[in-house]
Formats: sequence, C-alpha cells, structure tokens
Amino acid sequence: MTPFLEAIGIDKTYPGGVHANKSVDLTVSHSEVHAIVGENGAGKSTLMKILFGVEQPNAGEIRLDGTPIHLPSPRAAIAAGIGMVFQHFSLVPSFTVAENVVLGVEPRSGLRLDRKRAAETVQALADRFRLPVDVEAPVERLPVGQQQRVEILKALYRDAKLLILDEPTAVLAPQEVVELFAAIRSLTEQGRTILFIAHKLPEVIEISDTISVMRAGHMVGRVPKAEATEAGLARMMVGRDVALKVTRAKPGERKHLCRISGLTIKNDRGLDAISGMDIVLRAGEIVGIAAVEGNGQSELFDAIGGLRPVETGSVELGGIDITAVPVDQRRDAGMAHIPEDRIATGSAGGATVAENFVATELEDERFVRHGLLDLGAIRAHAVELIDHFSVRVNGPDAAIGTLSGGNMQKVVVARELSSNPKLLLVSHPTRGVDLGATEFIWQRLAVARDAGSAILLTSADLSELLSLSDRMIVLYRGRIVAAFADTTELTPETLGSYMLGFAEQPENERRAALS
Amino acid sequence: MTNGKLIFDETRRILFAAAVALLMALVIIFIASKTPFETFNTFIAGPLSSKRTIGNWIDDSAKLALAGLAFSLVFQARQFALGVQGQVYAGGTIAAAIALSPLGMSWVSIPLGALAAMLAGAFLGFIPGYAKAKLNANEIVSSLMLNYIAYDVANLILRLYLASPKSGLTASEGFPRSAVYPAFVQHTRIDLGVILALGSVAIVWFLLYRTAWGLRLRLTGHNARFAAYSGIRSNFIMVSAMTASGAIGGLLGALYVQGQGFGKIVVGFEGGLSFEGILIAIVARNRPLAIPFVALGYGYLRQGAALMGYRTDVPAEVIGIVQGIVILLVASSFTLPGRAFLNRIMGGSAAARAPST
Repeated sequence: MTPFLEAIGIDKTYPGGVHANKSVDLTVSHSEVHAIVGENGAGKSTLMKILFGVEQPNAGEIRLDGTPIHLPSPRAAIAAGIGMVFQHFSLVPSFTVAENVVLGVEPRSGLRLDRKRAAETVQALADRFRLPVDVEAPVERLPVGQQQRVEILKALYRDAKLLILDEPTAVLAPQEVVELFAAIRSLTEQGRTILFIAHKLPEVIEISDTISVMRAGHMVGRVPKAEATEAGLARMMVGRDVALKVTRAKPGERKHLCRISGLTIKNDRGLDAISGMDIVLRAGEIVGIAAVEGNGQSELFDAIGGLRPVETGSVELGGIDITAVPVDQRRDAGMAHIPEDRIATGSAGGATVAENFVATELEDERFVRHGLLDLGAIRAHAVELIDHFSVRVNGPDAAIGTLSGGNMQKVVVARELSSNPKLLLVSHPTRGVDLGATEFIWQRLAVARDAGSAILLTSADLSELLSLSDRMIVLYRGRIVAAFADTTELTPETLGSYMLGFAEQPENERRAALS
Repeated sequence: MTNGKLIFDETRRILFAAAVALLMALVIIFIASKTPFETFNTFIAGPLSSKRTIGNWIDDSAKLALAGLAFSLVFQARQFALGVQGQVYAGGTIAAAIALSPLGMSWVSIPLGALAAMLAGAFLGFIPGYAKAKLNANEIVSSLMLNYIAYDVANLILRLYLASPKSGLTASEGFPRSAVYPAFVQHTRIDLGVILALGSVAIVWFLLYRTAWGLRLRLTGHNARFAAYSGIRSNFIMVSAMTASGAIGGLLGALYVQGQGFGKIVVGFEGGLSFEGILIAIVARNRPLAIPFVALGYGYLRQGAALMGYRTDVPAEVIGIVQGIVILLVASSFTLPGRAFLNRIMGGSAAARAPST
C-alpha cells in the first residue's frame, strides 16, 4: 500500500544561512497519528511549514497518495487536502464559531452569508468528529481548548485529509488534552490522518501510532508506538542521556520570607483577576501554581513583579511592604522575576547581551559610578554569566535578539539568579526551551532554592510543576481552590479537576497548606 | 552582527540610496531642463564652485546635524516628539533678545545666548514629555502644536520688541559684532556653530553610550516593558530625553540668529530645516557619530539643489524628490514603534508568527 504522505529528501536553507532541514525523509501512513518530536531548532516547524506550503524547500519532493505534488502556498496545500492548526490561532474574536469556520468559503444565499446553513453545517461537522462546541458563541468567549477545536473545525470544513497540529497540547489543561485526544482518535477512525508536533513525550507515546524524531535538521529515527520509551526518545532527540530530575528541598524549619495577604488584582478589563489571595512563602522552597491559562496567574506575577497595580491587600518581602513600591525598590528588597515572555518582557531585543545582563543592576557600584558606566566591569560580568550558564553566543556584544529561544532564556535566568534573590518569581521557565536547556534551568532553580530563595513558580507544563514544586496551589478564576503541602503523591489528574473548577478543596484543608 | 559589519552594511545601503536618488534627479533634469548637462553639473558640482558655497554647505550641514541630533535623542527613547522647530524659534528669539540687549556689546552674549537658548528649548521639550507622563497626552500631537505656538509667539516678540522699523517689522537690526559667532574662514558662513554642532554630537554620544542614563534611555527605547520590568523609571527617562533634545533644538536657534548666516533675527529664519533633521536621524539610524557624515552628504545635495534653483531653469523642488527617494530607500526598514503593536492587535499572519519548535 502506498503511504499517504511522503516527503523525500527535503532540504531547506533559509536566506540567513540556517540549514533547517537536511535531506529529510518522512513517511506517513493512512489514518495514523504520526508525531514528530525534536528539540527547538531541530527543524520540525520548517518541515511542517513546507508541508503546508508556507515555505518552499530548496530540494526534495512531496508525494500525496503516491502522486508528486507542488505546494507553492497554503492555499495549494488546503486544496490538496492538507490543513494546519498553528500554536497561535488565527480567529476573529468577535465572530461566532460558525462564522470563523466558514470565513473565506461561506455558504451564500445571493450575496448574503447564509448564517443558518453555516451554523448547521458546522454543527454537523462538530458532531461527526466529536468536537463539541457552541457554534453560535463568539470565539472571544471560548476557553483556549475550544478555540483550538474551532481551528480544527476550520481545517475539516475545508475537507482536510491530513491535519497538522503544531504543539496542540501546550495550551491545554489535562482534561482538555484528554478531550483533544478523543477527538483525534475519532478523526483517524473516520479516515483522517494527523501529524502531531509535540515535545511532551508521555503524551506523544500515548496518542501516536508512529513517532519520527528530528535532531539538528536531520531525521534521526522512526519509532513505532510499541517500541517507544520516554528515555529512548529523549536520547534520540538530544543525542545523549537526559536526566530530568531535581532533588527536593530538604525538610526542616524554614523561616517565613514573603507574606501575601488579601491580595486582589484587576485584569485589563477591570474584572478581578485575583481575589483575596492569602499565602506565605518560606525560604528554601518552591511553591508551584497550577492553573489553566487566564485564571489570574499572569496578573499575579505581574502585580508582585511591580508591572500591574494591586487593588487591595499587601505583599511583604523580608519585612518590607512592597505592595505599591516601584520595581527598582522591589528588586532592592530582594525580588527577581523570570517573566513568562522572554521577548516581550524579559529582554531588550536590540540591545547587547551585556546590556541585558546589567539592565537590572544600574544602581550597583560595581557597574555604575557617578552615573558613568564601567564598560570593562559590565563586559566581565557578562562573560562570567555566559560562561556559568553555558550560553551559546558569539560574545557579550551580540544583540540578544539573535540568540535562540533556549539561550535567550538562559540569559534571563542567569540575570535574575545572579542577584541571589530572596523571592524569585518564575513563569513558564522552559516554555519553548529545548530539553538540554530545560534540564539546566531546572537544576539552577533547585540550586537557588537550596541557597534559601523562596520561589513562586507557574508553568503550563504540569510535569514541570510536579517535578519542581515542594508545595502547590491551584488557581481557578482568581481564587485558590486547592493547596497541597506535599506534592509527592500528586497526579496531573487530581490537579486537573481543580484547575477546571470541577472540585474545590474544603477550606480547612487548604488553610493548612497555605501558611 | 559586529559593529564593523553593521557600519559597512549601513554605509553601503545609504550610498546605494543616494545613487538611486541621484539617478532619478538626473532623469528629472533631463525632462525639465533645456540644458540638462549644465544643469546637472550645477547640481553636482555647484556646492564646490566657490569658497562661499562651500561655506554655505558646511554651515547647513552643521545645522542639519544639530536638528538630526535632537531628533535622534528622542527617537532612541522611542518617543516621537517633533518639537525641534518650535525649540529653534524659542531659542533663536531668546538669543536674539540677549544679542540686542546691552549684553550684546560683550563676548558674554555668545555663551549666554547659547545657554539661554538651550534653556528655552529644554523647557519646550519638557512640556510634551511631562504631559505624556502625567496626562498620557500623545507627544506627537502636543509637540507639533507647540511648534505653532512657539513660532507665533516668536513672531509676536520679534514684531513687538526686536524688529527694526526699517525692515517693515520682519527683521531686527544686525547684532553687534561681539554677539555674532566669529567666522573661521573669512567671507564664509563657517563659524563657531560648526564647533558647537560637533561638540554636541560628542556630548550626546557620550551621554548615550557611556552613562547609566544613556543605557536606561536606550533600553527604554528598545523595549519599554522590559525597562519597566528591570526597574528603570521610564517616565523620568522619557521626560529627560525630551528635555535634553529640546536643549539641542534651542541651541540650534542660537546658531541660526547669532551665526554668520544671519547675525540678526528674521521672521521664519529657520526655513523648515528642522524637520529635515528627521531624515538625518533616520538615515543615521539615530547613531550620534553617524549624524555629521549623513548631514554633510545630505547638506551637499540640498546645497546643489538650491544652487540649481538659482542658476538654472530647473526649480530647486527637485531636492524634494531626491529627499523622498532617499527616505523611501533608506528608511524602508525603519521600524516605527507602532508596528509591533499593530501586528499584535491585527494578529499578524499565522504563518509569520508560527513559533519554531
């Protein structure tokens, strides 16, 4: 039987000289879930963009059902029955689900959009592929998981036989992942083929029939589900053994370092993002916050970091009230912050690596005296941190915007840890960071904790939270709905039911774990 | 990218742009002129035709450099204050008032005039900055409006107090010799202003690249959210950048009225040159050390076009076309601060934003 999709000898060099795909072969069978895994920069995205017609290969051939096809544009790919769901959705927020799905190929009555028929068609599609969604609801009111369904429906409405999903689980809560996987199975049962880009290996092994592994532009292996193990795949991806394990905090009496009481924060729309939060953070522990995106964790970190005003309540760090003081005074009090978005918040893209390192230290006598920069000291500081954190960069004078995601994140982590913070805010520390760098960043966080920092951590990756956290809380709609003083027995499923608001811990149980 | 390569790439780009612009100018001259070769010769070689024209070129370039410097300072902080013109009129008026006062009989009027002009300009620069910090007023609008106010107030003061009746109230008497910048080359406009302009370039470079204030300013310009996150008081940086830029604009005003070019104050003395500073700043990518070179190159084209307007049958407006082409070619990759924001709210194209895995 001819394979459904074949890519043979795909080679792609970007104009900048990056050789992203080196003679890559990919074979996808009919009605299978085929995962492609690999580190950042392994070339997965490039390959997918080529299959969807966004990028043109320099060499190689793509065959669909044995026939060579040419894909000069996404339009051509859609016509050939290939659909793609990107990590960042392209939906019109104010339009309804049905309108979004049919946009561009609308059913018409005369010149007007036939709303009724659109809604019916989309509803039928949703029922058929087990993608339940309210077709009349405006997309902006839907949670992320449902928006993703809308994207999938969009591709199916255009009759995609092959559906490419780019890291679909990155934005989802555990229960939503379960639902997505159910939908994926129903899709393959009905003859559709799924290409699934991912980096969370347990999920990959669970859902895929076949797994292809890429490393540094090469296709390094093709593993059937039966033979796949996490350790084996990780070794193929990185090229060496990876130990994603951190030691736990040593038990013992720890002093209170940071007290958050009655904290209420408004979001951009003026609604309560966090309401009446109380928690005490102690030296030498990592407190993990589990929450589905948009449940107040971003606002909480921004507010403690000084980037968003606090409505009521207080934050006290080492005996100093930092509720309403400017960021520089918070940092003086011992706060540091690894923000969720290293590009938008954590760095100044056009500035050099050295300037990015010193940006938070401009009051420090080591680097600035009488308002004048000590360029030598700044440079030496940068060289030292680059060396300590094995940042791959041409030197301290390179613009930070030219670094890869993992290396840029290392710069941010290095800068924030170099001040030996009392309180460290950490958001999504390894989002979009490859396995090698993830391992490194985890260890550094554990070292900072053992040195006596209180770390407040949030991540969309529950396995990361469970691996690092000594204590955990769950936020749902801005409130703490569960708290766990011990995380060793915790499972993603337990957390998930709290994260989605299905359950709420009794008040007294929570109290005990919050102080 | 290394600095050397950056400078090389930029220089190549600018020279390419200039070449294309010149080619277009040539085409236009061929269409418009009965004697195209002589006309083109005037355009290209005119500025070097006499000691006087060379002087005019150098003097214009110094003024263009100061205007460019004023703009580049606020642009580096990603503030789009466009108030240099108003600052020039404010500075020029104060300097003229000092030069025409009894103080004008002493050399003191030169440093005092420059200082007072800088203060006046700084004050005008401060207003839109403060309004933005405190009232969230858009600095583009407020600075442009201030230009009108400054221009009309300057005219009012000129007519009420400074103008000589002989001039039909459009100009003052000539300043005393002691209040006019000494010329370095006799019978040219090459005067103290050139030194002041070069000195300002050096000072701004030092402030931007060797002081903590400059680093804060540049970091704020690169990414304001990052600056806030790092603990930089961006409001202070914003207001101080606009104020410092205003001081440079004010100094340019003193350069005008006290320089060899005028030696008196005249209605509309600035002649719209200030806004050409935007072009200088953009082409120089807001780098202070690049500004004198860009100003010299652009000043040359400008002078050539002016001479062509006087001496041939092609109007000087050709410079407008040359200017437009240079801006288009050099600045096409210049990022306005709104672009990233626009991309974000428009969602961008999904493909362009698809993250790498």
